[in-house]
Amino acid sequence: MEPILAEKLVHGLKAAGIDFMTYLPESRLSQILPLLREDGTVQLVGAASEQEAITIAAGAALGGKRVACYMESTGPYVSAYSLLTVGKQMGVPILLLIGFLGSFADQRNSFLYVTIGMRMIPTLEGLGIEYRVVEDAENLERHIRDAQRVSDSMRQPAALIFSGEFAR
Amino acid sequence: MIRRECLELMAPLMTDQLVLSSQSGQRIEWFHLAPQHEGNLLVGMMGCATGVGMGLALALPHRRVIVLESDGSVLLSLFNLPTLGNLNLSNLTVFVFDNEVYSGSTMSEPTATAGKTDLEAIARASGIENAVTVHDVEGFKEHGLPGVTGEGLHYVVCKVEESLIHREIPRPNVDLAEYKYRFVRYIERTEGITVPFVGLG
Repeated sequence: MEPILAEKLVHGLKAAGIDFMTYLPESRLSQILPLLREDGTVQLVGAASEQEAITIAAGAALGGKRVACYMESTGPYVSAYSLLTVGKQMGVPILLLIGFLGSFADQRNSFLYVTIGMRMIPTLEGLGIEYRVVEDAENLERHIRDAQRVSDSMRQPAALIFSGEFAR
Repeated sequence: MIRRECLELMAPLMTDQLVLSSQSGQRIEWFHLAPQHEGNLLVGMMGCATGVGMGLALALPHRRVIVLESDGSVLLSLFNLPTLGNLNLSNLTVFVFDNEVYSGSTMSEPTATAGKTDLEAIARASGIENAVTVHDVEGFKEHGLPGVTGEGLHYVVCKVEESLIHREIPRPNVDLAEYKYRFVRYIERTEGITVPFVGLG
């Protein structure tokens, strides 16, 4: 991802009021991490598993934070259990930021990623997670705010999935 | 020692603590013993309560967060322990009521802790310095109760006999959403904040 895209993504998260983010780093969007760390507005919490990352984010949301959870496209598989039980069953909003490895527009696609990537959206749909795929920076800030508002309004996780220009 | 003896000692000490229970027998016993405590939250499935507790403790660093876990639930989410050890949250206590069986299986299938697995040792190796195992009520009073009212990160493995008392207690008629809203409104009132997602009209 070009540095300017990372800066725009961080700006969009802050503009949407996100102040707490759990994560497992991956390769497409990870440039946001040092920017967020340097900025300090968003409290960053690394997790050992995406399943754990969802639960920590949910706890912070119940405690008054506006939360995001950043993961790669394997994350929805690993976290399906906590997305369903804590995210949907209890009803806690979490903005999911997913690096879409293995997607059609993944510029670094390979045999390692494609099987996982191609089944990720059907997995989100199976879980009933609303999502939007973002492939360029046009209207990025609005997309983030829209997804955050959908998540808050539904009291459920909602996903922004980053491919194309974000997956270089 | 049985689990209920520990919970009975904890209940009178409740003030403004936030108490999360995973989906195991202790949630029925605890919510029966302390039904009026507005800081109670049921985390509906096994393996999620410690993570939610960490998030709450991070969001509200001045509030004591207590998580009631079982051995089966902890074994389902062992990835929590390294995160817990590295975060070293000073306002979090995790009680693991380790009866060495999956009581919910109705046939008391043994868990790994009935074999060679030692949760305290895993916790210590994960960086949780204040991890202890207690085997009796006196041990719980000495090492467990400070985690209810004191400071620091506490990880207390309570070796308990399997007890089926919870099956005699009527199940709470409160669902996850009602627990959540009651809990969040309690936080709003006691913290003087608006939790963003429930503040939307």
